[in-house]
Amino acid sequence: MSFDAELDAKGLNCPLPILRAKKAISALSSGQVLKIIATDPGSVKDFEAFCNQTGNELLSSAEAGGAFEFMIKKS
Amino acid sequence: MPFLFPPLKTLNLTKRLSAEERRASIIKVAKRLFAQSGFHGVSIDEIVKEVGVSPAILYRHFESKDELYEAVLHEFSATRESYVEAVVADDTSFEQVLRGMTTVFISSIMNHPDMLKMEMHSQLEGSEASQEFFLNRWKSFTDYIEFNLTELQSLKKIEPINAKAAALIYQGIIREVLLQKCMQQTDRFHDTPITTLVDEVISLFMKIIEPAKV
Repeated sequence: MSFDAELDAKGLNCPLPILRAKKAISALSSGQVLKIIATDPGSVKDFEAFCNQTGNELLSSAEAGGAFEFMIKKS
Repeated sequence: MPFLFPPLKTLNLTKRLSAEERRASIIKVAKRLFAQSGFHGVSIDEIVKEVGVSPAILYRHFESKDELYEAVLHEFSATRESYVEAVVADDTSFEQVLRGMTTVFISSIMNHPDMLKMEMHSQLEGSEASQEFFLNRWKSFTDYIEFNLTELQSLKKIEPINAKAAALIYQGIIREVLLQKCMQQTDRFHDTPITTLVDEVISLFMKIIEPAKV
């Protein structure tokens, strides 16, 4: 899946990955995609809640090798 | 042939718990006892006695005391605080988000005071797994403070400050507030609601962060 910006939030505890994603998304234009990599297991639920509350679209959420990868499309 | 009632004993008059309910009832008792006396202060015998089952039944659900302790921690982690709301709010200034996160954290601990007690025991007992579990909850705060203060400094919005030490100070303040309000019930802060106390300590904490001099 292609993306327009990438955010490395490895090693950070929530809500920091969310806060940084929020900032990164605000720099994108509508329809662009942000890829986020995080290691906090809590980030899975948090990114779902974040997208629900902000209206941005969670395109995918996957786990690989102890890290979590999220693709978020700006609304 | 007339309809016959089954013999009473198969009627299930004493409520029999499903495996899931049984497991939950063991966890509930274990949580209370671990909070009271710590991991080492409680034996499997005491737990089964309080639950009212045989050790064999407990071992059917949990292989060991360690596994039971982990299950209690796991249950706490299911009630893990969500800071998303504090973060998506309109005002995302450093202070506002910190206030929001702290409010969520404090009310979560007030609802689960056993967790705070288990944390205090784990500090003395020194089990690595449990210490890591409890430290991880504080890490949300220390990460948040360290990252933001470092960023604000690099943007020259605040005067130089040791971000790591500031995070430590904050953790110390909040932990002490929780101890005073949840465990010690001292007279000193008896009449101060916890929300007021938190508000005031955050205001004091913010004073160590100096806006950049123009």
